[in-house]
Amino acid sequence: MTEPVLDVQGLTITYTVGAGVFQAVSDVSMQIYPGRVVGIVGETGCGKSTLGKAIPRLLPEPPATIGSGTVVFRGTDLVRLTKRQLPMVRGTGIGMIFQEPLNSLNPAFRVYDQMAEAIRIRHYRDMGYVKSFRGGSMPFDYSVRSTPPVTNPVTKSIVPGGAAAEAVEDKLRTRAEFREEVLRYLRLVRINDPEAILGLYPHELSGGMRQRIMIAMALSERPSLLIADEPTSALDVTIQAQVLTLMKELIDEVKAAILFISHDLGVIAETADEVGVMYAGRIVEYGPVADVFLNPRHPYTKALLRAAPSRYKSDGPLSSIPGTVPNLSRPPSGCRFHPRCPLARDACKASSPPLAIVGAESKVEIVASHRSACFFPEEVPNLP
Amino acid sequence: MGRSPSDLIVFVLKRLLQLIPVLFGVIVLTFFFTHLDLTDICNAWYPHAGIATIRHCETTINQPIAQQFLTYFTNLLHGNWGASVLGDPVYPKIATALPATVELVLAALFLMVVIGIPLGVVAAQSGGRWADHLVRVFYLSGWATPTYLGAVLAAVFLGPALGLPTGGEYSTNPPPFTQWTHMSVLDAILAGNLAYTADAFAHLVLPATVLAFINMGIATRMTRASMLEVLPLDYVRSARMKGLTEFWVLYKHALRNALITTTTVLGITAGGLLSGTVVIEEVFAWPGIGQYAYASIGGGGSQLNFDGAIAVVIVFATAVVVANLIADILYGVLDPRVDWR
Repeated sequence: MTEPVLDVQGLTITYTVGAGVFQAVSDVSMQIYPGRVVGIVGETGCGKSTLGKAIPRLLPEPPATIGSGTVVFRGTDLVRLTKRQLPMVRGTGIGMIFQEPLNSLNPAFRVYDQMAEAIRIRHYRDMGYVKSFRGGSMPFDYSVRSTPPVTNPVTKSIVPGGAAAEAVEDKLRTRAEFREEVLRYLRLVRINDPEAILGLYPHELSGGMRQRIMIAMALSERPSLLIADEPTSALDVTIQAQVLTLMKELIDEVKAAILFISHDLGVIAETADEVGVMYAGRIVEYGPVADVFLNPRHPYTKALLRAAPSRYKSDGPLSSIPGTVPNLSRPPSGCRFHPRCPLARDACKASSPPLAIVGAESKVEIVASHRSACFFPEEVPNLP
Repeated sequence: MGRSPSDLIVFVLKRLLQLIPVLFGVIVLTFFFTHLDLTDICNAWYPHAGIATIRHCETTINQPIAQQFLTYFTNLLHGNWGASVLGDPVYPKIATALPATVELVLAALFLMVVIGIPLGVVAAQSGGRWADHLVRVFYLSGWATPTYLGAVLAAVFLGPALGLPTGGEYSTNPPPFTQWTHMSVLDAILAGNLAYTADAFAHLVLPATVLAFINMGIATRMTRASMLEVLPLDYVRSARMKGLTEFWVLYKHALRNALITTTTVLGITAGGLLSGTVVIEEVFAWPGIGQYAYASIGGGGSQLNFDGAIAVVIVFATAVVVANLIADILYGVLDPRVDWR
């Protein structure tokens, strides 16, 4: 039986701002298995980024509160960890790539120092300097995680797809070995002349370069779960394509479980194995990418796919979903999509539909079944 | 890029050149203020002097004021800082008093940095909770204390209670060794005299603590404010996500950037402190430049010493400019995005 790397059950997150209480994420459940890429897609404000940041407990608490649910990361419920214990699962455990590459590197330190710091954290944990959570005695096993990249010993270039072949033994005794390790990860993210940028400060680098360094930094800790929160959204279109290509290649190479958050359906379609569609804080449809995108069983997914501008057709106006995104301090009763839904009936206003299996149940453990939170999934294919 | 060592040298030289017009202005202003506003200037200057001095004074005073200024300024350029009425030359006094004040100010700055800055971090971290309020009470009570009151209270109550000396630089004056630098602790160390090092240190504690306590608010408040600005930024979140403990996130990644503002403000404060120790030096009998300034303007029943007063103002002005220059250099050292211009 394969254990999921991440098992989220019934996660609910609320924000208290002034007198208002916003339920940003409501009753979200999902599993990520080793080596699988799960995409989360949805409009701005649907709670996808909140979900991504809540998993490593990065949300400022308060104003955010994790109301209920569990986030079990390799056997540890992260919701129950104290603030002192949290650093132990971050980095070498859960790595994260952020949306804002321009400001995500510390402006006061050189690239080398920031990279080396990440590798040092991982190295200390490998060496067992940090054995258990402080203030508790839950040992954390750092041995299960993504594989290091393999370099060609002569040319020092990364061997494509060679990562899975064998793990390089972790010996970082001398300064030179340490430096070589930093360079190895900079080469992994396809930086051609890594020696040249070691001594530079972040403000001397382009946005695409900074995002590559952020990716290298996250990967250099060899996380067993990588959360990519819109890693390409803030970049220029051409750079976006480059970073996306890089991400896709790295997904094959590092074999980490990945949670890929994006508002871009195309990006998710290209990278993810499974996809969860979020609307107003809930996952409304979940399943293998091909099933969800080719055969959507929730009216919101259908509308979202229709609204995505096609690159090949330019006839007619762009379509949009009628109505507005609901105010999360007073969400609609029942199904949150019902005020905008062409299929809405009285039942939809009365109660919230469960995320039920549509079509055939998955026989393979690590592949999710196609589920939809709609009372009338069989009517969705008939929608325009 | 404008960040090579040669750029730094050019930057420092430019700033030192700017010092020249500033000093000239200061000299002109103080000279004319001290010479123009008294009607019976010779009696005011030399109330107890003999008739010969008065006669000498009058021959000088009867010269045109421009001529007097030219004489003073020429002397100054030749390194002659003038003398008091009783014939005490000004320069040797300044040369011994300034290091003593610098020592006192550096000790106070040290306390402000090692206590005030961490307190600011603690306050920012606990933003709005009890630790924040406690820190605020601490630095506001210092900030709100009048210098004379704080100094006198410390000298009368705190010193005896803690068994700390409350006056002078050493228990025996002068100490039994050559005072090379006129910084009390440093001189004792240079002389290799352990007992006197401890003695000088004990004498320094009280005045430095009072000076630091009163000005602590600047360091704490600036650190708190800039930490609150830095903490929500993306790179602090990245640092946390690397798996660093909260201590390193705060004191390495956040504080390193927050210090840029604090350092600038502390530099400006240091310039002010050098000229603002008059009361503390007088209360603790610290033979520094503040005490000399006080004596020069007739404080404590001493003779008026106009050459001394002008010299003190020149030193204070230079101190402010140099402290600002050091703050600017440190700013560039801390923030790699700054060009030397």
